[in-house]
Amino acid sequence: MTEEPYRWVEAIANRRDYVETQLATGSPIVALGCREGILFVTLGRSRQKVFEIYDRIAMGAIGHPGDIERLRMTAIELASTEGFTRSAADVSLRRLAYYSLSPVLKAAFEQVFGAPFLARMLFAEIADRPEDDLFLRIEYDGAIALSGGAFGEVREHFGVLSGTRASAEVMETFLRERHDSTATLARGLALAVDAWTVGHLALGDDAAGEFPAKESLAAERQKQLRERGVEAALLERSGNIAIRYRPLTEAELKHARAS
Amino acid sequence: MMEPPFAASGEDDFVALLRRRGHVAALGQVGPIGPMGGNVPPQTQATTILAFKFAGGVLVAGDRRATSGNTVVFDRADKVLEIDLHSIMAIAGVPATAWEMARVLEHSFQFFRRTQLQEMSVDGKVRALSKLLRDNFGFVMQGVGVVVPIFATYDASVEPGGRLYFYDAMGANFEVTEYAATGSGSPAVRGILHYENSWGKKPLAKLSEDEAVIVALRALDTAAEADTATGGVDRNARIFPVIKVVSKTGIATLPDKQIAALFKKGVA
Repeated sequence: MTEEPYRWVEAIANRRDYVETQLATGSPIVALGCREGILFVTLGRSRQKVFEIYDRIAMGAIGHPGDIERLRMTAIELASTEGFTRSAADVSLRRLAYYSLSPVLKAAFEQVFGAPFLARMLFAEIADRPEDDLFLRIEYDGAIALSGGAFGEVREHFGVLSGTRASAEVMETFLRERHDSTATLARGLALAVDAWTVGHLALGDDAAGEFPAKESLAAERQKQLRERGVEAALLERSGNIAIRYRPLTEAELKHARAS
Repeated sequence: MMEPPFAASGEDDFVALLRRRGHVAALGQVGPIGPMGGNVPPQTQATTILAFKFAGGVLVAGDRRATSGNTVVFDRADKVLEIDLHSIMAIAGVPATAWEMARVLEHSFQFFRRTQLQEMSVDGKVRALSKLLRDNFGFVMQGVGVVVPIFATYDASVEPGGRLYFYDAMGANFEVTEYAATGSGSPAVRGILHYENSWGKKPLAKLSEDEAVIVALRALDTAAEADTATGGVDRNARIFPVIKVVSKTGIATLPDKQIAALFKKGVA
């Protein structure tokens, strides 16, 4: 059947619908720059969704746990062998995404007899200067979205991931208006939890694109914080040690709950 | 049956991964094993490394001299290598092999932690080094690449958590309770540490950091007295041994200034 081109296109379209449906309930993940570095935040009930890939690279993912695990292992293997054979400084997120992960995802997605990856990933890489930080989202079909717009524009210092496009867009708009990468970790965390809540609300909401009123946002945030745990990790800008990734401590997470 | 476009190995063993990708030689398969020419003189592990437990954790010290036969090739070699936040591998033996082992070990621990989402156990780390040594034994039998390390780490789950091991060239590991020494200068050092521990003012485990550093400096200087391959303390060029301390808070590298002051106070 797939010898006929239009049937192939149809199969791909069906498969896209299928994957989108599978991912549609995925809880959002926010990565944003703050004074201390890059903060990854999500709220969840059980599963870990934010991971360390290499010294300066972190990943957040939604989708099927088995697929996420395979992609995570692949990313770690590639980064680790690169870091071992050359040096940690030669491990680059750009290369990891464009050269290694994207072609593999694309191939799996378009080979209609095999299973596609049910996963969507958000990566961030911390550099020595905030201007050189990189936020990057990889879709199940290998498409890559860099944060920020066209060349020459100021790169946005955050990245989001969510179950639906509408939810991700509303989170981006929300952050575009409020995000300040010189804010403290505590303020960054509070903003990230707000952005997560906005994205979460937009998942079930057909009228996406409008933010909830301030009061209802606060109420929803409190409700979600009661029901879910905050998972947060930081890629630290300055560190005496090579490994910049660390999960936030309980004390640091209290800020998120208090706000 | 369609091959998956790629599959993560799902393996937590970084060394196996490197081998599969051809980044390290298939260790342990290094051609005909047997002494070349029938009689290879034993290689000197030309250096002195010592480690002992004291009140503040585990102290690891090494001289700075690197030799090749009778020739001093380098006077600022660092043989006390940090593997992760709490682990030190100190090496006596062939630097090329030893540094490569340290690098493999460092990446193995991180790889395990990242993939398995938990820290490798102390026993796992000790065993990982053991395996590298055993894999290297083919080279040792051919007369090249012998490495005899000391491994010091901190186990947060027990108190006191300082743990200290020495190895033989085949990979056997021995956990010691008090002190360990390796390299050509080690017989002298072992004598001193035994003496200090048994009849010194205090047993080694009770020494403060300053006292421990002085003992280490005296021991290395004594080793250098008789062993040409040990640098000891270079008084003219002011080159001091590398001294690191493993404790609950991690690894501290003592600054030369501190070592120099203690040297002046307790040794010179």
